[in-house]
Amino acid sequence: MGTASDTPRGREVMRGLKNSVAMQIGFIPFALVLGAQAVQKGLHPAEVSLMTGLNFAGGSEFAAIALWTSPPHLLLIAAITLLINSRHVLMGAALAPFIRHLSKRKALAVLFFMCDESWAMALADARKRTATQGRQALSVPYYAGVSAGLYLSWVIFTTIGGLLGPIMGDVHALGFDMAFPAVFLVLIRGMWKGMRAAIPWGISLGVAILTYLFIPGSWYVASGACAGLLTAWLMAKESAPC
Amino acid sequence: MLMTCLTIVVMALMTYLTRIAGYLVFRNIEMGQRTRQVMEAAPGCVLIAVIAPHFATGRLADVLALAITIAVASRFPLLVTVLAGVASAGILRWLLPL
Repeated sequence: MGTASDTPRGREVMRGLKNSVAMQIGFIPFALVLGAQAVQKGLHPAEVSLMTGLNFAGGSEFAAIALWTSPPHLLLIAAITLLINSRHVLMGAALAPFIRHLSKRKALAVLFFMCDESWAMALADARKRTATQGRQALSVPYYAGVSAGLYLSWVIFTTIGGLLGPIMGDVHALGFDMAFPAVFLVLIRGMWKGMRAAIPWGISLGVAILTYLFIPGSWYVASGACAGLLTAWLMAKESAPC
Repeated sequence: MLMTCLTIVVMALMTYLTRIAGYLVFRNIEMGQRTRQVMEAAPGCVLIAVIAPHFATGRLADVLALAITIAVASRFPLLVTVLAGVASAGILRWLLPL
């Protein structure tokens, strides 16, 4: 009787699935909130599945829904998505040495499922293997197990959130809208590298608040982010002339 | 409907672009120090700008709930923070209707 988990490859997939269980469960409440809010902003539950299935990038999906209007501002949402997910560029660069042995096609498929959590777990595992086996390579079946668990959990529970959305009532009165800043604040905490590195974020917040108070529309996101990026650029010049 | 689907597809293209760019561009060359620092700051700048309106509602209940959420976010995991944020906002808005 050869079940999948008897082969070495199958065991690696199972190891990945098992290691990601805590995170899969952790996804559930945010997935439900995201789905419910999306539907209240006018998306159809199927469109919620489409969005989370094609993007699989929680931070930018939360931001898109927070800014969603009917019809949506395509350019604004595209630009915000690009900026929020710009960290993926760094993550992909860090992962590159460990997927160099894969064909380009396979590497591009692997990268579709790279989120903060799968990246962190895959990189930690790959580094451990490099240390013990001297082989700098990602275990693709392990990564597949991690990714499958996280991806399915995210898409399934955002869809369920979308289906439950209409019966959840006024989410604002219940305080559910605070789920967005809460998720964002935890994401920002995860990127925390000290006060100095946080200066651009402070500038971004200040400029965004002023813009929000004095200029109608959604310009606060663009103006805040641009001010923050400019600050980071100027600060980098001072500390590292290269 | 069409606009919604189009926006979602464009979002997905942007997201996938960021996922493959690091591998495609930087698998053979080293990223500059300055580029790296700006890219590290970028996601935080955007995330905080998106939630800026929550800091500027002018409602005491919202400001207090946000302060509680920030305090919880600084030491506790995601789930606890979201529960604390939602609960504090719900309760404080009920207690302080203005």
